[in-house]
Amino acid sequence: MSEQVRPDEAARALADIRQHQRQVIDLAMLPTWYWWVVAALVVGLSATVDAARQRPVVIALAAVAFTLGISGVTGLVVLGAWQRAQWRNQLLGRRGVLAILGFVGLAVGTTLGIAFALQAVGVRPSATLASLVGAALLITGGPVLTRILRRIMLDNQARGR
Amino acid sequence: MAAARFDELIHAPTRLAIVALLAASEWAEFKFIRDSVGLSDSALSKQLTTLERAGYVEIRKGFVGKRPRTSARLSKAGRAAFERHVAALQQVLAGSGASLLPQ
Repeated sequence: MSEQVRPDEAARALADIRQHQRQVIDLAMLPTWYWWVVAALVVGLSATVDAARQRPVVIALAAVAFTLGISGVTGLVVLGAWQRAQWRNQLLGRRGVLAILGFVGLAVGTTLGIAFALQAVGVRPSATLASLVGAALLITGGPVLTRILRRIMLDNQARGR
Repeated sequence: MAAARFDELIHAPTRLAIVALLAASEWAEFKFIRDSVGLSDSALSKQLTTLERAGYVEIRKGFVGKRPRTSARLSKAGRAAFERHVAALQQVLAGSGASLLPQ
C-alpha cells in the first residue's frame, strides 16, 4: 500500500503530523506573564526580607505567601493546560530537564551571589537589589527557556520519543 | 526506529490528525481534540470509535465536578502502529530522494 502513496502525499502527511503534534507541545509552553508574576514574587519576598530583618514572623509570612504564590501560578498554568491535553513527559527528555535546572541554577546563583557580595561591601538593601537582577533574568531568560524547551520537545518528537 | 508499515486506517486525514495529536500526549481531552482537528462532536466520536474498535485508542469517561469529561489516549498498539506508519511515510519520502527535516 505504501508504494501507492506518492512522495508529495507522504510529505504532506508528515507535515500534518508535525503540525498537530506542535499543538500539544505548545500547550506545555509557559506564557510570558508567568515570568513577570514569578519575578514580582521574588522581588516582593526580597523587599520584605530587607524591610523586616528584625521581624522573623513577617519574613516567615512572606515566605509562605511566596511559596503559595509560586505554587498557585504554576498550578494554574500547568493544570490549566493539562485539563486540555497532558503532553508526554518523554518529550522533555534529559536535555529539557537540564535546561530547566540550568536556568533555575543560574537565576538563583546569580541572585544569591549578588546579594552576598552587596552585603559584604555594606550596600543596602542587598536582597532587594539582587532580586531586581534576578527578576530581570527571569523576565528576559524565561521566554528564552520556553523557546528552548519547545525546540527540544519538537526535536524529541521528530526522533519518535 | 520502528519497522515501516503503512496503516490505511491511520492514514485517513482526520484519523491521522487525531492520532498525531494523541501521539504527543499521554491523554487529550475530547474538546481539545475536536477544536485542534476541526471536527464536529459527532464526527470526532465516530472517528474515535473507529480507532477504539481497532484497538488503537482508549477512551476514558469521567466527571470534573458535575460536568462530564471524555479523554482519549493512544493504546500501546496504537502508538506502535503510528510509529510504523510514520516510518513508512518517511520511507516513501526517502525513496524519492526528498526529505522533510524537523522544523
